[in-house]
Amino acid sequence: MNAVLRTQLAGVARRPSRMLLTGLAILVASFVVYATVLAQQITVRSVLNGLSGTPEAVGLVVGNGEVDGDMLTAISALPGVAEAAGRVQIGSQVGGRYLNVSADPGRGPLSLVALASGRYPSAAGEIAITPRTAQLTGFAVGTSADLDPGTGTKVPVTVVGLVTARDDFGYDAYAPWTTVSALGAGERLNQIDVRLDPGADPDAVRSRIDALVAAAPADGRPEVATGADVRLAEARAASADVNSVFAVVGMFVAIAVAAAGLIAASTFRIVFAQRMRQLALLRAVGAGRGSTFRALATEGALTGLLTGLTGVLAALAVGHALPPLLRAAGFTVASPGFPVFRGIGTVLLAVVLTVVAVLAPAVSASRVAPLEALRSASTTGARTGIGVLRWIAGLLPLAGAVAVAAYVVANLPGADTENYEVMPMLLAVVLSGTLAFIALIALGPVLVRPVLALAGWPLRRLGPVGRLAVGGVGGSARRAAAVSVVVALGVTLVAGVLVGQASMRVLMERETAASAPADFDLTGGDGVTLPDGFAERAARSGELTRVTPYRRVSSVTVGDVDAPVTDVDTTALPRFADLDYHAGSASGLGSGKVVVARFVADLAGLTVGDTATVRGAKGPVPLVVIGVLSDMGPLHSGLLVTPEDLTRLGAPAAYSGILADAAHDGAEGRTEALRALRAVPAGDTAYSVDILADQRDQIESGLRMVLAVALGLIGLTVLIAVVGVGATTALSVVERARESGLLRAIGMSRGALRTMLTTESALYGVIGAVLGLALGVPYAWLALQAVGLNAPLALPGWQLAAAFVALVVLTALAGVFPARRAARVSPVSALGTE
Amino acid sequence: MQTYPPAAAVAAVDLVKVYGTGDTAVRALDGVSVGFDRGRFTAIMGPSGSGKSTLMHCLAGLDTATTGQVLLGGTDLTTRSDRVLTKVRRERIGFVFQSFNLLPQLTAERNILLPLDLAGRRPDQEHLDRLVTTLGLAGRLGHRPSELSGGQQQRVALARALVTRPEVLFADEPTGNLDSRSGAEVLGLLRDSARDLGQTIVMVTHDPGAAAYADRVVLLADGRLAGEIHQPDIASVTDALQTLASAR
Repeated sequence: MNAVLRTQLAGVARRPSRMLLTGLAILVASFVVYATVLAQQITVRSVLNGLSGTPEAVGLVVGNGEVDGDMLTAISALPGVAEAAGRVQIGSQVGGRYLNVSADPGRGPLSLVALASGRYPSAAGEIAITPRTAQLTGFAVGTSADLDPGTGTKVPVTVVGLVTARDDFGYDAYAPWTTVSALGAGERLNQIDVRLDPGADPDAVRSRIDALVAAAPADGRPEVATGADVRLAEARAASADVNSVFAVVGMFVAIAVAAAGLIAASTFRIVFAQRMRQLALLRAVGAGRGSTFRALATEGALTGLLTGLTGVLAALAVGHALPPLLRAAGFTVASPGFPVFRGIGTVLLAVVLTVVAVLAPAVSASRVAPLEALRSASTTGARTGIGVLRWIAGLLPLAGAVAVAAYVVANLPGADTENYEVMPMLLAVVLSGTLAFIALIALGPVLVRPVLALAGWPLRRLGPVGRLAVGGVGGSARRAAAVSVVVALGVTLVAGVLVGQASMRVLMERETAASAPADFDLTGGDGVTLPDGFAERAARSGELTRVTPYRRVSSVTVGDVDAPVTDVDTTALPRFADLDYHAGSASGLGSGKVVVARFVADLAGLTVGDTATVRGAKGPVPLVVIGVLSDMGPLHSGLLVTPEDLTRLGAPAAYSGILADAAHDGAEGRTEALRALRAVPAGDTAYSVDILADQRDQIESGLRMVLAVALGLIGLTVLIAVVGVGATTALSVVERARESGLLRAIGMSRGALRTMLTTESALYGVIGAVLGLALGVPYAWLALQAVGLNAPLALPGWQLAAAFVALVVLTALAGVFPARRAARVSPVSALGTE
Repeated sequence: MQTYPPAAAVAAVDLVKVYGTGDTAVRALDGVSVGFDRGRFTAIMGPSGSGKSTLMHCLAGLDTATTGQVLLGGTDLTTRSDRVLTKVRRERIGFVFQSFNLLPQLTAERNILLPLDLAGRRPDQEHLDRLVTTLGLAGRLGHRPSELSGGQQQRVALARALVTRPEVLFADEPTGNLDSRSGAEVLGLLRDSARDLGQTIVMVTHDPGAAAYADRVVLLADGRLAGEIHQPDIASVTDALQTLASAR
């Protein structure tokens, strides 16, 4: 151990907390990394435990080829086979709604469903449905309906029971195989699950089945696998999903780790700057530049080792303490194991990261002139500008970022661009953003002053404390830049997600305006019209409002384009106001006029003012185009016309459906409204109610969940940024103890000093947030355009403002503790510190 | 118990300051009673560890005494809260330090006006102009400390101390970091402000040359008063210090 290292380590040993402070960001990063490893393990284990796609009782599976009823009979008859279940599904339509009917024995160990109420179907024409399906269709035990299995002929079926299944999508029915077969599946099967007699030799049974199967023609010959293999493969597929989710999580963790590296580099620079006199003294008494550098780098590596180890152990403790607590609270969660190698890997990552972070600060610290030791500490002012090299290191990536961004802008997809490749463009946006960020890191110190001048203006007016805080941050612009850049990274990501989410929301609203303009839609499926009196009955209900009957014809032609047409009144429902028009509008829609969807306009070559010749069952009818929608028309139609024009096109006078909203708000209002609308057909199951409101709610909650998850993951980077601000403030406070002492000596109160230091800490947040917003919003817009969804550019002002305020508050909080400590120290001892 | 003439701007009465407890306790001040006359320039001298800095810190309300009293113009500072002491420091006391202690991020002018800023008071422009002219700082007000020489920095610090018209100006080794010419300048300015403006000045120093600028020298040894010299010169101060050193 060289002498320099020995003195440095002695210094560290005297104040171990400062070493921890230096490596705090690394500690948090290694905690996050290892916690992610454990979380993945927990998730995979929990998923594997809960997986029951193929029942435990299944010994052999015959599938992956042509399997039929004869084979099922043959296999059932084999010695050693206790039971064989044929699996097959058919798609069907009931009352204009999709229904998936699966074959299941309904009882015994091979069944995938459990009876909830009623009884399991046994006779032909009997089915059982899942609870969610019952909820969505309004069917209950005893309901009879006509089922169209896709053949065009309707088969009457009766619901005799409710069953719960592993997955419930809301369109699931179950019945014995014979029923499904009679409904239209025929003899065809997807696979056969075989349960063996207890004590039967699986290999013997398997060879018997193999022999049976060998008779099948070679090109469709099914395979025989053991149940265990199939279960394993299903589990693997499920955990592959988990792993791909964690790959995305890993990406965010990687960003957080990079942020921790930036913070560590900045804190090392501060710590070494504080020791400059001491290092200079060592140099003056003969320590070489090389050994000084090595000593500082070794200290960095030790810091990485210590903090990395602490982080990993903390993650391990939390990872093992949490699952039992969750289990006690009633969740099914498995405990993680002890992934030793990945733990060592995390510590190594921490060490490598710290060493990389310490290199630049150590090089510049070891270059200290021995003369520095003889200088008075107070006269060495911090440099605020940046050197030529740094200008170059900043301007080159900036030029690159601008060039790549310009390329993306020049190649943005139009509405009609064909063969547009999204991935390369998105990668280009990411590349440009990364380059811009590197430029920000290099040019940060130059940007801090203008931002500070802007953001500090109101503070300066607040009086001397604000003025001093602005001066304090501006006085060490490099330090402010180093920590603010990391805050900016967090804010950039947050702003990007918020803007992206807001734009997607507008896009979704436009789409739902066309597809789900009202809460409910009562229809009888394509081509079916409603009997007289439905609309009147619905309109009389006090639970329903804005009852809007409409007619829809599924096919008319414009030129050689085939499209559905409707006469729905777009002024009757407020949600139609969200429809977005590419050109023109629907206002002024009258006889002889038409609004067309974008695809109709594009394919038929129509623009506003053109006359379209439309042919239906009758026609042709010439109509003037007064508007082109950006997307689909209302109710997925291609054309929107007046009722008289629709009649001229040959549409029957009867309505195709009724749109209606719930008259009262809340879940109860909606349930009542649904009940009222379901009562309209008076038990005729040929007509069903689509709950469009559910679609909207699902999209909404989906968006919200994605937003929450994304913000949670970005939260890691924000957390590290805040930790960095706290560490920087704490170290700055130590360094500026004399300054604090002086201010107290000439009459600054304790509270004012606290306010000043906390404000400085918050200013790091302000600078970071301003830079982050300036970078995040444009890049989010660019990315949205590059995706090519024609998404509008939304600016969620309130959300961005809230994010801004939250970040400033967080960074201010990070400074509260160091500020309190600084204010407690007596002025005399503060003035006495070197 | 002695009484002090009302002429005393600041006075210590039986001041005791103990650092630490038990065996390691050190009596830095051991019953010091001394007054500092209004409008006069007094130097506190003594060997290292004699308690001269502690005495000054207690007199200035930077530190609190263990027992005894500090009277500033009739106000007893010993029992006051930190809030009151802060206000006293801001409004009634000025400081000059050995290492200048200017804020590097502020210009000379803002450094000078800092105590007024903290108190939320407007500067008396006439007073400020006179100070700046007297201290030879005209034309330097826009500079930052790093752009000023040591002597200039100390004159800025002096202006900062005098801008509030304090009752007492405390100077802690004000020439310790200056070359002899700049040091002489600063000491001359201190003497002039006592003589011409009636400013009460208390200066701690170990330099007999600096003490010779004062009207009176108070000698301290082992936390006790060890004599005083009126109208000192270098020779008399040096003699007194040597006597003290040999007596130990």
